[in-house]
Amino acid sequence: MSRRVTSVAIVGRDAPLWIAAAAIQRSLGHLGVTVQAIELPSLLQPVDVYSAMPAIQGLHKQIGLSEQLVIAAAKAVPLVAQRYSNWGGASPPWMVGYDDPPPPGSDVGFVHYWARGRQEGLKPALEDFSLAAAAAKHARVPVYRDGDELSAAYGYNLAALPYSLLLKAHAGRLGVRVEAAPIDDIEVNGDRIAAVVLASGDRIEADLFIDASGVEGALIGRLAGSNFKSWEEWLPCDRMVAASGAAIDPPPVFSQISAFRAGWVGLYPLQDKTAVIAAYSSKDISQTEVIESLPLLARIPVGGDAVASALRRGVRIPSWIGNCVAVGEAAIGLDPLDSLGLYVTHSCISHLMALFPVEANAFPEADRYNREIALAGQNLRDLQCAHFALNRRFDEPFWDRCRDRAPPESLKRKLDVFALTGHVPLYDEEPFEEHQWAALLSGAGISPKRYDPRIDVAPDEALIQKVQQRLRDIAVAVPNMPSATDFLKRSRETLEVAE
Amino acid sequence: MNKPLEIVILGGGTAGWMAAAGLVSLVSSKFCRIRLIESDEIGTVGVGEATLPHLKNFNETIGLDEAEMMRNSRATFKLGIQFVDWGYRGSRYIHPFGTYGSAASGSGFHQRWLRARAAGHDWDIGDFSYAIVAARRNKFDFPSEAKSTIASTYSYAYHLDASIYARELRKFAEARGVVRMEGKVREVLQDGQSGAIKSLILESGEQVDGDFFIDCSGFRSLLLGSKLDVPWEDWSKWLPCDRAFAVPSESASELTPYTRSTAVEAGWRWRIPLQTRTGNGYVFSTGFTNEQDAADSLLKGLDTPALDEPRLLRFKAGRRVLNWEKNCVALGLSSGFLEPLESTSIYLIQIAIMHLLPLLPLAGMDPRLADEFNRKINVEYDRIRDFLILHYHLTRRDDSEIWRYCAHMDVPDSLKEKMELFGHSGQIEQYRDGLFTLPSWLAVYVGQGLIPSGYSPLADIGPIDRLIDDLEDLRTEISDRVDEMPSHSRFVERYCQMQQPWKLEPAETQL
Repeated sequence: MSRRVTSVAIVGRDAPLWIAAAAIQRSLGHLGVTVQAIELPSLLQPVDVYSAMPAIQGLHKQIGLSEQLVIAAAKAVPLVAQRYSNWGGASPPWMVGYDDPPPPGSDVGFVHYWARGRQEGLKPALEDFSLAAAAAKHARVPVYRDGDELSAAYGYNLAALPYSLLLKAHAGRLGVRVEAAPIDDIEVNGDRIAAVVLASGDRIEADLFIDASGVEGALIGRLAGSNFKSWEEWLPCDRMVAASGAAIDPPPVFSQISAFRAGWVGLYPLQDKTAVIAAYSSKDISQTEVIESLPLLARIPVGGDAVASALRRGVRIPSWIGNCVAVGEAAIGLDPLDSLGLYVTHSCISHLMALFPVEANAFPEADRYNREIALAGQNLRDLQCAHFALNRRFDEPFWDRCRDRAPPESLKRKLDVFALTGHVPLYDEEPFEEHQWAALLSGAGISPKRYDPRIDVAPDEALIQKVQQRLRDIAVAVPNMPSATDFLKRSRETLEVAE
Repeated sequence: MNKPLEIVILGGGTAGWMAAAGLVSLVSSKFCRIRLIESDEIGTVGVGEATLPHLKNFNETIGLDEAEMMRNSRATFKLGIQFVDWGYRGSRYIHPFGTYGSAASGSGFHQRWLRARAAGHDWDIGDFSYAIVAARRNKFDFPSEAKSTIASTYSYAYHLDASIYARELRKFAEARGVVRMEGKVREVLQDGQSGAIKSLILESGEQVDGDFFIDCSGFRSLLLGSKLDVPWEDWSKWLPCDRAFAVPSESASELTPYTRSTAVEAGWRWRIPLQTRTGNGYVFSTGFTNEQDAADSLLKGLDTPALDEPRLLRFKAGRRVLNWEKNCVALGLSSGFLEPLESTSIYLIQIAIMHLLPLLPLAGMDPRLADEFNRKINVEYDRIRDFLILHYHLTRRDDSEIWRYCAHMDVPDSLKEKMELFGHSGQIEQYRDGLFTLPSWLAVYVGQGLIPSGYSPLADIGPIDRLIDDLEDLRTEISDRVDEMPSHSRFVERYCQMQQPWKLEPAETQL
């Protein structure tokens, strides 16, 4: 067999850098692969938040980071659902919860039973049949118990700076080497990076280079053949501001996402404060105006620490060139909506690990990585685009434009087929399963014209029984879950015992 | 919802009656009314005597009793397909309906096997698949319900007489309200504006109106192909076989729980064991032999005496570019054809029915329903196509023209990339939709002689000695457990042997 990859150098910053470094070190470090992190100056501010879907728990497990440590260091609060207000004009707010998918091969989705019930006068919204949404409304955390028929998962809202520092320390403990000097030069030889030369004079060679530098694309941007495909037309917010708001006690276990006339504002509860993000279109509102309106939009006191930045929405194609692999925002740039930021990095790293090169001199894995990342990016974009495309805020130029713009074909198919049948077509590399898409689309106002005819084979009583049983199960399950306050307290106690 | 949808199925056979049985049992009669037109004068093709495990699921979903179905259709069990002489002369491997490794092995087993191999242990990967070991020893039992045990790592399908299976489905469907109409279609009437099919005129002059038509008319594709002019996409440059001879022969003394497929001079031969006879066939290409030679070759290769004259079937590999056009869906041979190398014919009917049910135009015709159906079916067809081409292309045989051609032909890029990555590092692509999953690709790659030159570094976890011990233990465990299984013949005898009314049970002879 030809030569193995024995050295990996990762150029980047903040959580994506340390996630990539820790994941590779933990899987391959003990096999003699050296992992060198080259840390660029952080772009994080004290106001920044990472909001993470439940998939983050798998990542923490993979790199061996305990939940209690994360919760303590990053002042984290569990995240069970997203609540969307004002996206539908006068219609009520709606939630998308992190319910676990039904087991594979089981019955057709619950949405069909709900749609059928609606035709016969059933009152509750689809959301009322979501365990996660119910938990979120009652400030409870869905901790899985063996044998639970219905279950849900949770992610976290994390204070970005301390979380990133925790990951860095953890990566160091795992054996990642760290250099923090600025980059002086990148030596490129054909389509391969030969070395990264640091201002300190150090010259770092590696078999494989990973670009976790964010939108800058510090490495991959230097290689010929890297193109950026913009998604501006579908993800219309080009700027964001982040600020700190007053803590909410007890902290809600959902993010509150409210649309306003030129974008949206999100509240992300942490233990000691509430992180606030506003994403907007600079064509429609000025930065000054957004910052001034923050307290009004957020409906909580907001500090004077607002920080503004640009949003780049699009995908780098290809994202693996020669011996350089882009991960996270260096590959896929999104709107901060739906808590997908860390998930993008995690997902890129998972694809890379599954395709980790077998030898140092040839990377036929690159084509497949590029195809998978392009498809994953497209699905993530569609998920965010659905919110904008389905808005019902009429007579506001920004939102009118969002509605008038034709959605991407891949999303249009989802919207159409759901509206016609209650089913959602899924492609490879989907971040959401069908039940979550159904929650999103029905919340955003699409009522399926009909339901799956197969459910009607059962007698009417059985169908009514099934719907009522779900409500009863939720009513029984939620009070048995720990409250957010108890959950956080227990986490602190566990950590103290461990220390 | 509106008034019931009038569904007209044209053609009986496996496709027509599977559609009828599926629709009538899974969709309430308030939504649709189903009529099926067939003619006793038109024979059915029914080559599909070997099935895939999905059929069990279909039967269960619609509520067809397994033992009774098996008894009536003279069925036996199937754990996989044995491929003989495919990658090279003298090669022999089984594509199992099961996984490799223990129940806990997951998708990384073959990487660990490759690591052991690189360390000098040249083990047959088939020794680590429970289904393969059981098939080799002619054993059968139902898979264990205990998901953590090795005996749960497989599923099974059937060898059956497809024309009897269709008859069973007909009985089942008619009992539940499907109306069968005898006759041939003389004329098809379309709507002047939309071009949608309005009614079928039978030779008797009777007019059958419908809202939605399911074309199960076989190769002729009377509605979708002939009437609606949906073009045919030809795949014969990759799958050159265009004829088959089929012939039954006497049943063998030992029932193999697998189908056998043997690569020969101008195609391949199948052998399918039923309770009362053995189904045999020769799929060949007229580009590389002629019908007479093919028929002779088939008869010469039988292992039991023939019971009939060989019957000729003509076909072409490919599919209609759309399987749903206007108000018409094609199922079975009228939708496309892939040779029965991997027993996919009945599966393609089944998956089309399952994709159709949730998209049925119960609240009005909408082209977006058709569009979604077509996307799903095309994914199925295209992925199966690549998998079949792999069998032909991945060969070192150069003893006859067809194998030289196939080894050197230009294959679809999607397949090229798959083969390259597997050869490089044992990577196997995984996807959401599509029939064949990791163990299937693995079986064919390795079985036909493509051994990866490297393996994933992630497999290097843990000391090599422990890996070797673990694999040794697993191999022994599989072997020991399989020894305890009943023989396939015996299992069939007890579970579903065809009734022979003239034969008295021993108890009855005791006076």
